[in-house]
Amino acid sequence: MSAQAWRSFICRACGWIYDEALGDADGGLPPGTRFEDIPDDWACPLCGVSKADFEPHEPLPTLRSTATAATSPRRSGLGARHDAGVVIVGAGCAGWQMAQALREHDADLPITIVTACPGHVYDKPLLSVALAKGIAPASLVKQTADQAAARLGVRLLTRTRAISVSAGARALRTTRGTLRYRHLVLAHGAEPLDLPQLPAALCWRINHLDAYLKFREQLGEPGARPVQRVLIAGAGLVGCELANDLALAGHPVTLLDLNDRPLAGVLCEDTSRELLVAWQGLPLEFIGGVSITGVSDQGGVRTVHADDGRRFDAEHLIAATGLQTPQRLAQSAGLSWNNGIAVDPLTLRTNVPTIHALGDCISIDGQALRFIEPIARQARQIAATICGVALAPYDRTAPPIRIKTGSKGFTVGR
Amino acid sequence: MAAVLADPALKLATATAPAAPWAAERQPLIDAVRAIATGELAAIADAIDRQGTYPKAVLQQLGAAGAFRAHLRLDGQHDYGAAIAAMAEVSRVCGATGFMMWCHDACGLYMEESGNPALAGQALRDHASARTLGATGMSNPMKTFAGIETFLLHARRVEGGYRVNGTLPWVSHLGPDHYFGAVAAVEGAESGHEVMFIVRCDGEGVELRNCPSFSAMEGTNTWAVRLTDHFIGADTLIADPARPFIGRVRASFVLLQCGMGLGVTQGAIDSMWDVERSLGHVNEFLDDRPDELQAELDALTERAMRLARTPFDTSTEHLINVCDTRAHASELALRAAQSALLHHGARGYLMSSAVQRRVRESHFVAIVTPAVKHLRKEIARLSATVAPA
Repeated sequence: MSAQAWRSFICRACGWIYDEALGDADGGLPPGTRFEDIPDDWACPLCGVSKADFEPHEPLPTLRSTATAATSPRRSGLGARHDAGVVIVGAGCAGWQMAQALREHDADLPITIVTACPGHVYDKPLLSVALAKGIAPASLVKQTADQAAARLGVRLLTRTRAISVSAGARALRTTRGTLRYRHLVLAHGAEPLDLPQLPAALCWRINHLDAYLKFREQLGEPGARPVQRVLIAGAGLVGCELANDLALAGHPVTLLDLNDRPLAGVLCEDTSRELLVAWQGLPLEFIGGVSITGVSDQGGVRTVHADDGRRFDAEHLIAATGLQTPQRLAQSAGLSWNNGIAVDPLTLRTNVPTIHALGDCISIDGQALRFIEPIARQARQIAATICGVALAPYDRTAPPIRIKTGSKGFTVGR
Repeated sequence: MAAVLADPALKLATATAPAAPWAAERQPLIDAVRAIATGELAAIADAIDRQGTYPKAVLQQLGAAGAFRAHLRLDGQHDYGAAIAAMAEVSRVCGATGFMMWCHDACGLYMEESGNPALAGQALRDHASARTLGATGMSNPMKTFAGIETFLLHARRVEGGYRVNGTLPWVSHLGPDHYFGAVAAVEGAESGHEVMFIVRCDGEGVELRNCPSFSAMEGTNTWAVRLTDHFIGADTLIADPARPFIGRVRASFVLLQCGMGLGVTQGAIDSMWDVERSLGHVNEFLDDRPDELQAELDALTERAMRLARTPFDTSTEHLINVCDTRAHASELALRAAQSALLHHGARGYLMSSAVQRRVRESHFVAIVTPAVKHLRKEIARLSATVAPA
């Protein structure tokens, strides 16, 4: 007589498995007790239901694909839990323009803005002319963040850091939790270069309203005595414009650069000279050929040290030595990188279909173009892509730029 | 639900899994750890959770298998990826034991990085093989450095060292023959001077006091520790001052913890597949299905393994990435454990169910220092723009 194979039975209530080979010692069933030999008053050792609640159990390999996976609406990312809709990182010009452009296409699209700053709407170019134009710091805000969010129907998370992107899960991780997005738009801009010889604790880096307001607060009211001196490291666009504005307001300004003339990267030699001539009546001194090795602080006076032993003193030091694009978000999302987030010249698409980028953080053919004018056009292009609307290709031609050195302005074609 | 672990499909799944994220020569270690976890450990996981069984023999087996030396330089190059993978294999079966692995690993990290000959050499070799067992009492200083708490231990300078007083509330993986790393603020010194040292539980002026019961993981031997004029001499010193040392080991300390969250998540996913055949027709209406969670877990594991290649990178960006990965592992463990419970339904609600136990383990992963909220606060602090005062 050949032995019948041991069988197993599963409790329909709790899933406990009775294996004939093992029996149930605690329940008085020695190993080898056949299911049919189990007395009727025996109970499931786990949940107490009766023998009648058991059914044959066929151990099968575990199933490891979910049947409806491919067609489930969950997979489209629509209607998923915590759907934040289109998530925009950054509430500067690019972030708000993006929200505006999306809203023009779709009144109901959920839009979430995540920003590390307070999120107020302002014109960044005004920061370098506010003194001369007599704009009080408080008047720089055109619309508060809450007002702008209400106007555009945007959910706004301010003072929130975007940490990383889980592109597979379409999730943006932030310091206030994780957002599931349908589309992600990176509009976080660029940040001041972090040079070890210009430590952030001793240098102002005026890249946004928040920093500018703090600087102005320490600078005091225009005309306040004693007059505070300002050193500016870097005579590019930002450095020259700020220097000009501060000097017009009566602050003695020393403008330092490695080059021997201001705006060396943008202007030809003759034009640079014209600018120096225009500055002659101002308390503004340009000093070229300065290679900065460090900064020290003594009783509120900053001293900039140059490699040739020269030293320059002032109450304030502004670093205007250029910008760099933060990499972490792009890197975590697996975005192509080429001196910035690489986007297609015509469609502005990144290499990930649901992730877009505009403004100061993008590069086209390896070139970043950090000006205001293209941003609105970029936002319209991306909004059209997201909303599935056809639009003429993006025109990368940059318009002429106006250099706002108040004493003598320049328009430069590019 | 021991069936989860006895299931041959568990081995089947790993056989078809994508290429392992650790070096091929580490595969025997991971296999050995998996055998211990799914064998002896699985059989006592419930007792560890609820009856306070301390799995000393299992920990010693893991030590003999080499699980506690992968992140050390005893064999040459450290391999944090393998250390995390080993911890994940154990946490997949028993979160409490995975946590104790981390406690022991962190202590080994302190000993090796201390450069103190009394804590290196034979002492470290004994530790690495789990012949002696150690832990870490760093929750309070980590929270203090993050501005969440203030120091609970205070050190007074005396001839040849310090005398330390104070009580740490919950230090895990202790016992009469155990030891742990701790930090005390030095009294009278200009602020910002702390000292880090090893405390032997049988030392003079060391008293272990009972803790109230926790909702899970009772076998982790968690005690309050009261130090009364406890002497710290040269032979137990880890670092003085402590801050530069902590700055050096902080990222690796947090990174190692990822093993717990990754493992608890995998255990939860395993248990979801166990009921897919019988309950898939209803479970398809749930959020967080096992294949979705697995895809997210695989991407997260890859990220952790990438960070594990440079455990001692002291850059802010690296630390932010480590904190974020650790937070993500906690959040994923919470979601996976919760979803596994929903996938199992009432049977998963039984107190004896591993699915139910894992829910409580995932809570622990999310609240043990650094907790999710602590990590986010730290990332915000690390990201803050610096400006002149």
